[in-house]
Amino acid sequence: MNNAQKRSMITGYAGLPFGDFSQVLEGSVGVLGAPSEVDSGPRLGTSSAPDALRKMTQQLGISLPVNGWDLGNLDMSGNWSGALGQFVNQMVDHSTIPVVLGGASDVALAVLQTLPDLPVVAAMPLARGDVAARPENTIWVGLNGEQPVNVWDQIRQRKMVWRTARQLDEGQADILCMPESAVLWIDMSVIDLGHAAGAVGLNPAGLKPETLVSIIGAMACSWQAIVITGLAPARDTRGMSELTAIETLNAALRNG
Amino acid sequence: MGDLAQIQFDMIPSFLGVPVGDLEDLMPGQVAIAGYFCDNLDRPMAGQRYLARQLRYASQPETVLAKTTDLGDVNVFPLEPDKHFSAVISQCEAVLEVGARLVLVGGDSSGLKALGIAVGKITGEDASIVPVTGGITDNLSKTQPIILSVDLQELAGIWMSQPRRLAGLSPAQMIAQIDATPGNVVAAAVFGLAAALDSWGSTETRAALTILKAVAERLEKGAH
Repeated sequence: MNNAQKRSMITGYAGLPFGDFSQVLEGSVGVLGAPSEVDSGPRLGTSSAPDALRKMTQQLGISLPVNGWDLGNLDMSGNWSGALGQFVNQMVDHSTIPVVLGGASDVALAVLQTLPDLPVVAAMPLARGDVAARPENTIWVGLNGEQPVNVWDQIRQRKMVWRTARQLDEGQADILCMPESAVLWIDMSVIDLGHAAGAVGLNPAGLKPETLVSIIGAMACSWQAIVITGLAPARDTRGMSELTAIETLNAALRNG
Repeated sequence: MGDLAQIQFDMIPSFLGVPVGDLEDLMPGQVAIAGYFCDNLDRPMAGQRYLARQLRYASQPETVLAKTTDLGDVNVFPLEPDKHFSAVISQCEAVLEVGARLVLVGGDSSGLKALGIAVGKITGEDASIVPVTGGITDNLSKTQPIILSVDLQELAGIWMSQPRRLAGLSPAQMIAQIDATPGNVVAAAVFGLAAALDSWGSTETRAALTILKAVAERLEKGAH
């Protein structure tokens, strides 16, 4: 985030002070915006997500359950994924939790690439082959609709844990074999379009917002990194999608 | 001429379509609903003051409310807090003194505070404020005055045009709680909503209207 942007906001995400990486203490979080834009499809708008989330936390007076710093937005020109990877590595090495506010899914992929040996908890409607192919099993939350056959075969063969949106909304929330530590990736398209329209993916019969919050909040897992992607705030005039992202993040940090 | 004046007067939008009246029209046991146009004094949020106006415009005639009157708006002085509270308290007192029950609609929670003081002055007892989220009413005597606090910000996000949180009550849950509140409910404040004018605003306005109707019905029942 450049100085002009910082000056326009008194505080950062959820009232955190703006700062630099060197100020983030062990056990606390560093929030970084990575405002990349989706490169295809009719539903754009992810680049405005980090600042929209900051604004909404300020408007609602929401604070994080942990201490930390807001490190502003990543400069998305040039090799931003390399810079993001470096940031995540540094944070994890210093026992701090990077919270990355995307952006499109390429932001999450850059984070996952940096932490290749960690399992992933992926809240998304469609299972992804590149995530399923990671060495550690992924836990899939909120799958919905037809899944790619080759990815599904891999999920079944490796006996990965998965729950559909319907199962979760009906209360089948018990997820056994949670890893001790993992990366949490929340693609906001996991939420039902009718509840929160501010996502790049259309997901009828997706998860209810409160279900996502309660599922993530119930996971006893030490999150090594948290990434939120796919939020397109301008598509949701009520702000329900931003509120869902904010409450889910708080639920994750409260327990993890 | 008299009939014509009466017809025009009745066309003024009123809460739930009930008759518009004045302090002199009130009888003991009646329910008076009044708008509260102030949202800058306690838990301020601009826009809450317009709730009364919006609910009046969205209202349809309700034949079931035989003992309820729209009293207009209480006079407010939002930029002079001392004068404001003094004026609102004395207006609430004037209604309660008749033996009527009072509902303040709209604005911020400062209306509830004024109502609490007014009830205390009139009854000589501390009024118990029972929130719609469910308060402890077991220890209250049947005669102790109760004020229902209906904070519409307790509605779940799905019912709101600009949600402030996901969790919360549904209108049906609020109505059930209002209906189940035992004891001597002498007044209520319905507040905390800045209703929008879009389609979601229509949803929250209709929810608020249904809740207001439940409040009026509960107050018409009196002590029970």
